[in-house]
Formats: sequence, C-alpha cells, structure tokens
Amino acid sequence: MRVPSIIWLVAGAAVVGYFGLRDNKTADGFFQSRATREAAGTSQPGTTDRSSQSGTQTAQLSPSAGTGGQTVPAAPPATVNATPSPQAPAPAPSTAATGQAPAVDETALRYFARRGDSKRLEAEIARLRTLYPDWTPPSDPSAVVPLGDVKLDDMWQLYSENRYAEVRKAIADRVAAEPAWRPPQDLLDRLTIAEARDRLVNASNLKQSEMVIRIAANTPSLLTCSEVDVLWRVAEAFAVTDRTGRARDAFLYILKNCTDQAERLATVEKAIPVLSRDEIADLLATERIGPDGKGEFEAAKIDLARRSVAAAGEDPKVTVPPSDVGAVEAVADKDGQASDAILLGWYYLGRDNPTAAEKWFRKARGVKDTAEVSQGLALALVGLGRYAEAEDVLFPWNDSSDEARKVYLAAVANLLGGDPPAMIEPAMLQRMAPVVGKARDAAAAQQFGWYARALNQHRTAGQWFTAALSWKPDDEPSAYGLALTRLQLKDAAGVAEIQRLWAGRSERIATLGEIRRDRQRPGTLPAPPAQAGAASPIAERQTYGDTAEAPARVIEASEQVRPAQGSGSGSAKGDRLQRNRSCKTTQAYSNLGGSASLARGWCLMEMKRPLEAIKAFENAMERGDATVQRDAAYGQSLAYLRVGLSNDAAVAAAKAPQDRKRTLELDEALLSRRASDFFGAGRYAEAILALDQRARIAPERIDLMAMRGYAYLNLRRKEDARRIFRAIAATGDREGLRGLKAVDPPKDNN
Amino acid sequence: MKWSLVPLTIAAFLMGHSPVSAQPTAGPPLVRAADWEAYKSRFLESSGRIIDDANGNISHSEGQGYGLLLAVMAGSRPDFDLIWSFTRDELLLRNDGLAAWKWDPSTSPHVTDPNNATDGDLLIAYSLALAAKEWQAPEFATTAARMADTIAQTGVTENQGKLIILPAATGFSAEDRPDGPVVNPSYWIFETFPVLGELSRDPAWGKLSEDGLSILRQSSMGPRKLPPDWVSLHTMPKPAKGFEPEFGYNALRVPLYLVRAGILDRELLAGYAAGMSVQGGVATSNIDTGEPRDTLTDPGYRIIPALVACALDKKPIPEDLKTFTPTLYFPSTLQLLALSHLAEHPEQCP
Repeated sequence: MRVPSIIWLVAGAAVVGYFGLRDNKTADGFFQSRATREAAGTSQPGTTDRSSQSGTQTAQLSPSAGTGGQTVPAAPPATVNATPSPQAPAPAPSTAATGQAPAVDETALRYFARRGDSKRLEAEIARLRTLYPDWTPPSDPSAVVPLGDVKLDDMWQLYSENRYAEVRKAIADRVAAEPAWRPPQDLLDRLTIAEARDRLVNASNLKQSEMVIRIAANTPSLLTCSEVDVLWRVAEAFAVTDRTGRARDAFLYILKNCTDQAERLATVEKAIPVLSRDEIADLLATERIGPDGKGEFEAAKIDLARRSVAAAGEDPKVTVPPSDVGAVEAVADKDGQASDAILLGWYYLGRDNPTAAEKWFRKARGVKDTAEVSQGLALALVGLGRYAEAEDVLFPWNDSSDEARKVYLAAVANLLGGDPPAMIEPAMLQRMAPVVGKARDAAAAQQFGWYARALNQHRTAGQWFTAALSWKPDDEPSAYGLALTRLQLKDAAGVAEIQRLWAGRSERIATLGEIRRDRQRPGTLPAPPAQAGAASPIAERQTYGDTAEAPARVIEASEQVRPAQGSGSGSAKGDRLQRNRSCKTTQAYSNLGGSASLARGWCLMEMKRPLEAIKAFENAMERGDATVQRDAAYGQSLAYLRVGLSNDAAVAAAKAPQDRKRTLELDEALLSRRASDFFGAGRYAEAILALDQRARIAPERIDLMAMRGYAYLNLRRKEDARRIFRAIAATGDREGLRGLKAVDPPKDNN
Repeated sequence: MKWSLVPLTIAAFLMGHSPVSAQPTAGPPLVRAADWEAYKSRFLESSGRIIDDANGNISHSEGQGYGLLLAVMAGSRPDFDLIWSFTRDELLLRNDGLAAWKWDPSTSPHVTDPNNATDGDLLIAYSLALAAKEWQAPEFATTAARMADTIAQTGVTENQGKLIILPAATGFSAEDRPDGPVVNPSYWIFETFPVLGELSRDPAWGKLSEDGLSILRQSSMGPRKLPPDWVSLHTMPKPAKGFEPEFGYNALRVPLYLVRAGILDRELLAGYAAGMSVQGGVATSNIDTGEPRDTLTDPGYRIIPALVACALDKKPIPEDLKTFTPTLYFPSTLQLLALSHLAEHPEQCP
C-alpha cells in the first residue's frame, strides 16, 4: 500500500494552485511527463513541487501557511463574514491552461447571482477579490447580465445540486456536440474537488483510512476551514492508522486557522478520544478567551477531566492529575449531575478511599437510586466495614444484575464473617438466606455455617455447610465445618464419612479431634432454603429454584471472603479456626501500597484464606520495595502450598531471592507437597523420590513416614513398608500398627 | 526504477499494439445506438449507477464494469464519464484502490461491506483501459494500470503450479477456507488479460489465460459435464462447500467470455453448449445429478449457446436473438455482450 509519507495541510484554498482535474489524474502515478507535472504543480505559489516524488502517487501538500506565514490564508470563512460555505474551496484559475494573463472568470458569480444564492455569491466575490486584488465586483450583483450560455448554466445547476457525475456527462456531451468548446477551468476545478470530497467521505464511512488520506493528499484544496468535516475525517484516518502525530497536526491546523466557535469546540472533542493527553494539551493551548472571560474549550476540558477520572475509576493503576479530579468535583457540586458523582464514587473506591466514595455515591443516590449507585455505595460501605449498611443498601437491587448480586453476597459474607459475630437482626438474616440460596453461593453459605456455629446452632450450621458443599463440592472449609459440626452433634459415623471422603485431601479433617467450646449466642438462624431436614450426606447435589445446573461458579467478589482453602502440610491439628480479624475485603477495588498488601497477605494467611492471600502478595510484589517483594514472594509461595499448587509455589518462591533459612523451609514444604501430590495421584515411585529429596534437608515427620510406608506397600515393596511402619510403631503412633496390618492383613475365614 | 518502464509500456499500448477485440474506433459502434439507449433507459440511473433490477435495485462492481464496457462499445464518452464518475466516487473506496462490491440504495451509507469482487474489478479496469485508448484519455489508463497491478497482487495466486483468480482479496484462499482455494470459473474474463497485461508490469497476466483454460478443462463435471459456479481447487476440482453444487447464473457466462476472447476451443465450447441446452432454452442445473433447475428462455441466455454454434460451425444466429429488448439487467447485459461480439466479428458468424 502506497501512502503519502508526508502530508502537510494547506492553509487556504487560494494558495493551493492548480490541483484540478488533470492533477487529480497525475496523482495516480506515472502517466504524465515530468515536465507537464512540474508545469502543473508549480505554476502557483504555495504549491509543492511534486516532480521529486518519483512518479508514484506520493504527494506533499503545501506547507501550512498558518504556521509558515509565507502565504495568506484566503479561504472562507476567514475572509467572508465568518460564514463557512460548502463550496468555498476555490483554486485559482489555471494560467497554464491558456498561457494568457488571467482574466477574471465571473461565470460562477453570474450564475449564483442569477439564482439569488447570496451565500455562494458572497463567497465567490470574496474568492475573486483574494485572487484579483484589482478586481471590482459588480455594484449590484443581482443585476449582472444573465448568462448567455444555457448549457453551462445547466452544468452549474447540476453542480449546485451535487450531481457531479451528471456534470461530467454534460461536459462530455457538449464536447462531443461542440468539439471546439472547452469547459471553464473553474468548473473543472470545483468539480474535481467536490468529487474528491464525496469519495473521501464515502471512503471514510467505509473506514478505508488509507484511501481517505490518499484522496486528501491528492486534493489539498479540499482541506480548508469550510470543510471542517473533511479535516476531521482526515485527522481520524491518521489516528486510526497509528499516526496520531499527523492527526494532532490536522486538528491543530483547524484550531490555528478556523474561527467557527462550535467547530473549534467540536474539534477538540473529536480529538480527545484519539489523541494522547500531551497531544490534546497542544490543542488546548490554542484556546481563545471570550469576552466573558471564559475559555472556549471549557466544556471539552470538563469532558477530558471526566474521561480521565472515569479511566482511573476503572483501573486503579491509572494516575490522574489532581486538577482533573478537582474539576469534576467542582462541576459535580455545581451542577449536581448524578453521572459526575458516580464517576467520582468509583474513582475514590478505586483509590481505597471509601469515605469519599461513600460521600459521592450518597450524593448520586440522592438524585436517583439505581443499581449502579447502590452497588458503588455498598462497596464503599464494605470498605468501611459497615457490612450491615451495605447489605441494607443493596438488598433492593441484589437481583438487578450478576454484578450487584456479587457485591451483595460479598456484603453478606462479610457481615456474617465478623468476629466477634455481629448482632444481625432476624429479619435481615431471613432475607439474606434466600438470596444466598438462589445464587448457590458456597462462600456465603459457608459463612452462614460458621455464624450458626458461633451461635451454637449446630444443626443449622450443618445444613449450611452441606449446602455450601453441594454447590462447591471441593470446598474444604465447608467440609471441615461440617465435620466439626457433626463432631459437636456426636455423629461419629458422619464424621468418619467426611474423613473418608477427604482422605489425603485435608489433614485437618483427617486429624479432627479436639473440640473447641463455642460461644453461646441467642437468636435463631434460618436454615438454608429447601433444606429444612437434617443434615444430608455431604457432597450430595442439591438444586434450588427451577434450574438444575451445576453449582454456580464461585464468584469473584465472594471469593474474597472465602476462608481457608485446603490445608498445607503444616496445618495445625484440631479446631483452630482463627477468626480474630476480617482483613478488610475491598481488595478488588483497593489500591493498597506494597507494605499494606503484604500485611493483608499475612493476615489472610492467618485467616486461612490463602487464595486471597496469593493476590495480596502479588499486589505487594508489584508495589513494594525489595524487602517487601522478598517477603511477599515467600508468603505467596506458602499460600500456594496451602492450596496445594506446588508448581505455582515454586514459581512464586523464585520471584525474589530468599535467605537460606526460608529457602530450606520452602523447599521442605514444596517437597512435602509434591510427595503428597504424587501419592494422591498414585505415582508412588515419584512420591518416594520427593520424600528422599526432602529427607536430605529435614527429618521425616511421622505422617510423611506413613506416606512412605504406604507408597512402598503400593509398589509391593513389602519389606521396605514393614520396616517403615515398624519404625512408626516404635514411636507409639498407632499409624504404625495400622500400617503393619495393611502390609500383613490378619487372616480371616473369608 | 521499476516505474521507468511504464511509460514505454503505455506508449506501446496507445500505439495500438493491443491484439484484442472491442475496437470500436473505426466504423459503427459495436453496441448499436438504439440498443444502448434501450439498455440505459432501463438499467442506468441518472446518477451513473447500473441497477440490478432482479436484486432489489442494488448496484455492484460487476454491473458498473459491464456498464462501462458497454458504454465504450457504444462509443458514448458522456455515458462512460457518467458511469465512471459514480463508480469511482461510490465504489472505488478500498484502501487498495479496488472496488467495494455492493452499493445498496436502501442503506446509509450505501456501501457497508468493504469486500471486493475480482470480476467487477477486472471489468472496470478493462473498460478503463479500452476507454483510454478509444478516447486518448491517459488518466483512465493510469487508473486501469494501478488496478491491474493490485488485482495481480491480491487476486491472483498460485495453486498446484497454476495461476488462479481468487474471487476476492479475502475469504477464498487456502488459508481462508478448509476447502480453499475456491474459485469462480466465470471470473476468468479472458479478454481482459492481454489488455491489462499491457498496462500492468505483473507477469501474471501473461499466464492467466493458459492456466485458466487448463482449470476450465478440469472443472467440467457431473452428468452434464459443466463447471459449478463455485469450485474448490483444494485437490481435484469439485463443487465448493457452502455453495449450491450448481451450474448457475455465474457459470453460464463462461462460454460467452471464451468466444468474446476469441478462444474457440471446440471441445470446451461444444461441451458447454450441449450441457446447458434444454428443450426450449438454456438451463441451470445440479452438478451432481444433472437435473435442470431453472429453464431460461430470455434471449440473453439463449444467445450464449447460439453464439457458440455460430462461432464454431457458422450456424446462423436465430433472428429473434438478434433483436434487443431489455428484460432484466443480467440477461440483457449478456445479450449486448454477445451482440457486440457478433458486430465486431462478422466474419465469424455470417
């Protein structure tokens, strides 16, 4: 694709010179001889010599007179009552065509006068005056003698009706009938420009940007203030073909040369979406101050500020000049438009400033309550730890969108997950429960379970944990909660069943033993919907509502409040669920610094919420200094291990250099995890290999020895297995005896 | 450097080295004035667009190309200028300088699909080349040459050692479709190749005719031994997926184009004429079964096998086919193309 390498915009039509029909064709390429081209191209001032362009269609337009200053922009509206005329581009008549001194061609003047088209008449007078300073227009243009040339009159008629193809036909018809007749150069020039304009607009509508630029380059006289739409299209063509510098030049050309107020403002507004902030600043620098002391681009500047605040609201990493925020705040205070307040609400939410976010969302909500506003306000309230208010604000809208429901459920989960447990009105609990049920939200259901446990309502807790597991069968914390609850209810068989199902997947379930005394709280909790009966066997699929689809994907917002996932090798025994902190949960909308993210990561680890901790540590690694990064990599590695992703853990560990102690610790944990993974996958030889590697850096724990024993057994290395289990038995651990029984099953009579 | 050769090529072209047809310079026009007037009154809008009245009055690059060609052959520069002005400003909008294929009066903007159709581009470029020569209008040759270069670059590709014409710049190649490349045999408008070859520097033009004939010979298939409108050349030629396996309104132009180009290959032409002829006229037919689908009685269709019989065996054209009365855009166009050939080569067909 051949594209003009340079395009300079031309300042005024009159400086363009001879770019008429013939030139339009030569621009196609190689037909016309160099001499002809030069004659055509340089016969007028301000025209760039195109002969150096090696005959391809590459064309340079005249340098801008607006910046260069050698030539005077002469195009209307600069000289004609500031009234833009669509017909204004007016190349000078060619002297090259006749070789004679230029005579003032009054054809068009007479035609427009006859038709009473005063606008075009004025434009034509102005044009001729610019071209011929000595020329005096007729004192009474309407009294100009009528044209004697009816056929030419008809051509101008067709021209003025934008029927350019028919003008072409009329010219050819007449040339055929009157071989000596030649069309006026003025008509040909105008026709060529008008056709190019149509073609450029059509190409622009079809998004053929290269063609738009090519036509503009071939028809520089089209690029005038009277054709601002064309200039905009050319600028946009540059912008979409990644030549924003050229686009900026085109926009800037308009602002430096054109005077129409509305068009100037529109120019800036059109530039805003396609140019960079710096490039836009160049445009804004051309602002003119009105008599009222106001800048003409004020509206565009507000729009610009809005855009930048909006962009910052969507992406917390985007930085915004404080002046933009201030400008939007000022206009939001003054005009009180909800849309501005909402922009600011999201902005502050993204900047971890829920207090300001609350203020603006409340302001917007005062104008009109919508799902979006309530959602934003609820998020701000969640950020402020005011979960009950958040629930209350968003409850009416919880069904309005998936997004709203996510936020609502996040509020619910946070509300339930407070420590000490919040006092929640029974009515509120009753309305929350069906939403959780309908959304099949395992995270909130699990929190209902813990809340019920905290209130000593174990049967209800069991139902909620069961529901959570039915929606998310691999939700280890719910399984753990259910096991605890069954233990509480002295359902030994039920506990054993869970332990069987989770064997090898959760150590804390496997080793569930001691029971913590729960706090006593008054009040009655609702059972999960459609689960009024006693706790059903775990992992049984439940369906709610009228759908029978798989449990809803765990949603992002509520994922942030999901407690401990799985258990790492270092998991403590017994019920030691720590819920002493909430690790504030506006993560998705927050912009915590590195240290804060790191602290949050450790907090979440302590809360046994490793999935969230992974994100927090990631955030810390992105934002923190070297020390923070090292700690965060360590933390993230541990978090991955906690959720059983040993490969990711290894990757995370490598993200920052660790000291020897931590390296050993991580390696040990990683190898334990790998051994466990291999064992779980039935890859016993590899499990033993991992255990061997681990044994080189740390003594083998009893549980891992047992794993080794069973791995040997599965590999039919009975002697090795026996040796290991004997060693375990020697420590007094009953796993040793169980293992020995497995190696040598007692003979029975069956 | 490469451009320096071009003026010479064009000069040769203007000096009349073209070996090909459609030479209305001397003598009466190849399209009779009355026929052209009748055609225009039905299918040429005052804006310069050719109207396909059987297809919702849309226009397309093919129709504009036909209009330009007929205008040259009718010797009407005004009509040519009219149609060209519309064609250029309304269709020649693509970045690569080729024509958008469809213009719809009922949409705004009228052109919404930037895709091209290679047969339309060939017809437009060819007509421009003829017009340049006919009226000593070098600007037309310039545009024709550039279009020809682009067609050779984007619309011609090699497949199994043969140059083929892709129906459009995108969508039909081996990369674009599992059964690609897919071609349309009626896009081989043989008469255009030598003319465009004189303007364009691309060597492809010299090889397209020979390779095209070879592909046509392989593409006759089914009980009637006719080419499908759309052929997959992925392996052996066969009807392309997603199209009716049909000898249809596209392919029935193939013999017309061969005769117009002076390629009087008896085996091919006699086979086409026999395969497309049914009792009472010409038929489109199913490739696999040979079953006729539409029986076509319009003179514009019936004249095609008649033209073949005349060119091969001097069998006179029936009188009723020599009279032109506009019916619908497509058959009327085909009839004028056939009649203009007869006017140009009276020796072929007394």
